[in-house]
Parts: sequence; C-alpha cells; structure tokens
Amino acid sequence: MSQSIEVTETSDLAAPKAARLSTLGFFMSLPPVLVLLGFIGVPIVLAFAFSLGHTSGPNEIISLIGQEIYEKDSWWGTLDAYRAVFQDSRFGPDLRTTLAVTFIATFLVVVMALGMGIYQRIVGGKLAMVMISLSLVPLFVPVVIAAFAIRTFYDGNGFLKSLLYHFGIDFPTITMTTNAITIGTIWTSLPFAILMVSSGLQSIPDALIETAQDAGASFLRIVRTIMIPLAFVPIVIAITFTAIGIMGSFTVPYFLGANQPTMLGVEIALFFGPYNRPQLSVVMAFVIFIAASLVAVLYVWANVRSAKQSGRI
Amino acid sequence: MARESNKLNLQASSLITRSFILLFIIFMAIFILGPLFWLAARAFVTSWTFPNLLPDGLTLEWWRVITGDESLKKAIRNSLIISPIVVLAASVICLPAAYAFARYKFFGRKTFLIGMFAANAFPKIGLFAAIATLYYTLNLMGTVLGVIIIQLLGTIIFMTWIPAAAFAAVPQSLEDAARDAGASKFRVFRDITLRLAMPGILVGMVMSFLHAFDEAQGTYLVGVPTIYTMPTLMYALVLNYPAQIAAVFSILLTIPSIILIGIARKHILGGQLAEGFQIK
Repeated sequence: MSQSIEVTETSDLAAPKAARLSTLGFFMSLPPVLVLLGFIGVPIVLAFAFSLGHTSGPNEIISLIGQEIYEKDSWWGTLDAYRAVFQDSRFGPDLRTTLAVTFIATFLVVVMALGMGIYQRIVGGKLAMVMISLSLVPLFVPVVIAAFAIRTFYDGNGFLKSLLYHFGIDFPTITMTTNAITIGTIWTSLPFAILMVSSGLQSIPDALIETAQDAGASFLRIVRTIMIPLAFVPIVIAITFTAIGIMGSFTVPYFLGANQPTMLGVEIALFFGPYNRPQLSVVMAFVIFIAASLVAVLYVWANVRSAKQSGRI
Repeated sequence: MARESNKLNLQASSLITRSFILLFIIFMAIFILGPLFWLAARAFVTSWTFPNLLPDGLTLEWWRVITGDESLKKAIRNSLIISPIVVLAASVICLPAAYAFARYKFFGRKTFLIGMFAANAFPKIGLFAAIATLYYTLNLMGTVLGVIIIQLLGTIIFMTWIPAAAFAAVPQSLEDAARDAGASKFRVFRDITLRLAMPGILVGMVMSFLHAFDEAQGTYLVGVPTIYTMPTLMYALVLNYPAQIAAVFSILLTIPSIILIGIARKHILGGQLAEGFQIK
C-alpha cells in the first residue's frame, strides 16, 4: 500500500525523460563512475592479480619492496599466497573474530534501532526524542576519537572500574578483548542504522496503523505485519551497510582489541605495513570482500524486490 | 510524513513501559556520552589518579601546549585546507551525475548505481593497501593530490546518491509549469530544481566534508610521514603524548562536526540521508 504511495511521490524518477536525452545523461553520470573505476576498480583488479602471483607490470615495485611474495607458476597464477594465509595459525581465529563481531554487533545495532524507531513511531513524545538524539551523538564524533574515548572509559583505570571500586566491586578491564571491539563497534554504527530505520518507519502512513489498532490487532502483530514489512528496504539497507562497515573496520579493533586474535582489518594493515607482507594482506582483503559481497547481495535483492513491487522494473 | 502526527495511543505507554524506557535512556546516556565526557574532562586536568572519581587538579596548560606545537598546528592547517577542496571536487564531479541519475534514463544507469555500492563493499583497509600499490606506480605517494583522491573516494557515494534522491523528489510538474509560464531552461533549473533540491545537496556536502575531515586510515597510509592531517596525527598522539593532549585535540577535532551537523540537522533527521541510500 505504501509502495503505491511511494510511486506517486517519486513518479518522476520512475519515468525519467524521453530516451533522446539519454546520451547527455550517460556522459553527465560518467565522472564519478570513472573516478571509482580508476581508483577503486583498477587497484582491485591489480590487487587480485597480485594475490594470484602476477608480480610484474604495475605490481613490480610492491613485489620488490615486500617479503614472502609468491610468484605465479602457470599462466593464470598460483594459489600459494592464499594457501599461506589459510595455513597461518592466526588467520582462523582472526576470521572467526571478524565474523562474530560483525554478526553480534550488527544484530544488536539493528535490534536497538528497531526498538527505538518503533517506540518513536508509535508512542512518540519527549522520551523518544531524547532517546533518538542520544543515539545520534556518535555521528558527531570522528571514529579515532570515539575509539580512544571508549578505551579510556573501559580501561584499567577507566570510569567504570573507578566507580565500582568504591562499591568494593572489581570490575573487569574490558579493553583489549573482543567484547570491547563489539562495544566500540555498536557505538560507532548506531547513528546510521537509527537514521535509516526510523525514517523508514516514519514514512508508514498513520492510517494503516490506526486501522489495524481499531481492528484489534496487538502491538506485536502491528509491528510484525505492518511496520517491519513496510520499512523492509530501509531495514535491509541498515543491516548491509552496518555489516559491511564493521567487517572492514580498522580503527575500532586497533584501539580496543587484543593483539591476538583481532579483526582482519587490523591484520591487513599490519601485514601491509609493519610485517611487510603486502601479498598476504591483499589476500585477506579479498577474503573480507567475498564475505561483504554475500551481504551486499541482500541489499541488491531488497532494492530490486521493492522496485518490482512498485512496478518500477 | 507530518512529524506532529506521531502520537498514536497504543497501550505501550503504561507505567512499566515508561520506567523501562527511562532505564534504557539512562543506560544509553552512560553508554554513549560516558566515554566522551570521561575523555573531554582530561583536557582540563593536571592528572587523574585511580580510583578517584575527581581529578587531582584543574589546568589549561594542555591547551597552551597544543597552540605552541608546530606539528599540531600544521596538521590543523592541512585538514582545514584539504577537506574543503575534497568537498568542492566531489561537488563538481558528482552533482551533474546526481542530476542525470534522477532525471534521465540512459544506458548503464542501474549498473552505475549498483557499481557505486559495490565499490563501497570492498573492505576499506584492503582497498587502501591496493591503492598504495597503484600510488607507487603513479608517484602519488606522500603527495597532497594523493591524499585528496583518497578522501574523495569515500565522498562520492554521499555526493551522488543523496543529491540524486533530492533532485528526483522535485516534481516535474512544477518545472513544466514554470517552462509554460515562459521561464528559460536555466532559470527553471536555478530557481526551482536547484532550490528545492538544496537541502539534499547540503546534506550530501556535510556528510562528504565530515567523511573527508575524519578519514584517517587511507590518509595515514598514503600521506604519512610527509602529510599529517588532524585524524592521522591522532594515531601518533594517542601513542606518544599524555592522554590530556589527545583529549584537547579530540575536542578541537569534534568542533567542525558539531557545527556542520548542527546546521544540517533538520534535513539529516528529515530523511534526506535515508532517502539517498535506496536505489531507484
């Protein structure tokens, strides 16, 4: 129902101008595409070739600088670098940590965003406003500072430990653990999820919810059968962008996590920089990329589904 | 949707729910604001002994250290010069494209939109490692241009998608009516399309500026040791200076965000940001 409303609101988009203008549109849209192609597309292709052992051409300098480079032994390359990474005893725990933090933090962030969004939509009022405003604060704070602030807060001489000391409780030091990474990740991911989810819920017409109430539907039923389906696309967007962002994060696990095991984002930076194993770091990047692509499929699927439902495709 | 019409009377506002919500708000306040205050307070104290809840003494000495340190001042200057250039470049590159995505149907439109998203799905830190390889070849390592490009990459998605949604939301009928009334094409674009899309463009620019200003990982990889910006200097500060210095610097680094998001707050909350992230 709201889908049809959406169509009337954005009908200009659904039916862009006649085809004769299409060449102009194509060329106008080219600059950002070319920038991304040149500085993201090309490096990724080069990096992929590098990970397979193609060490000549543009990859020559990095191959000369780096250590433990596996060179190709056939026309397509070699999987030796991948084998080396998978056999590294650090890789397994790192990958598990990355996936666990991503899953748990994304789940909690989306549940919190949904809870606050639904409360704001149905009850509203001052309390809801305070709650939403509070959770948007991290938007103002650069990640480096957030991670550092969270570290000092939960540290061995941080606030929680100091406060509880006076009550005779020895609060555990959370920093340098996976739990601290999860806490920091939730902190930094919350605003985007809240913005997406709450604006999705806001666009559900009052009439729909009121009608369901009049018909005697329970709160949970309204949430399950009306609010979540109608805000489905924004919710999926919140999930995918949160998950992808967490998977590749560096600063939060770098400041808050243990040395071992840590998230792959930190390991990529360490292998590229201090350890000087650029090829292995690129291999790990592709492992995360594959995991992120699986999440991205969800995003594209949800968008296509919604476009189909509203007749835009 | 009208914001005033939020209050639907569902049974959710019983006393138990209210006290539960209140508890949750207190939890959120400690969870979100606690670390920030705990850190910010350090900018004004001499030292702080565990487990005291109050500092040993108050001082403004750390602020004097910051204003006297050449490398810190240089980082501030670099940040304040580079980020606006990035936003400007992003606007020039992306705004025509945003208009095209909103108004024209052309070959590859959907592919481009999804491609932009895919570019975002590659792990940032891995991407920077890959870009560094290219930078060595192109001699961009340690140059201002290299830093600008690396910061620009992350702003493209904001500067294209959010303004595109804003352009798309301008009713075609309004433009047609103005054309019928004899307004020139340029005038219609300037007085109607651009004006109505301005909030979306503003949100795009604010998000881009913050992204560029806060970008640390890529800038660190390609800029250090020749070019330090405020966030990249933070890495060094945290490791090598007393926490009080890092606290002062944190406050300085957060000011632009607070000002900018303050300006655009209404539009960001109004859904301009959320609208931009849906492929249509």
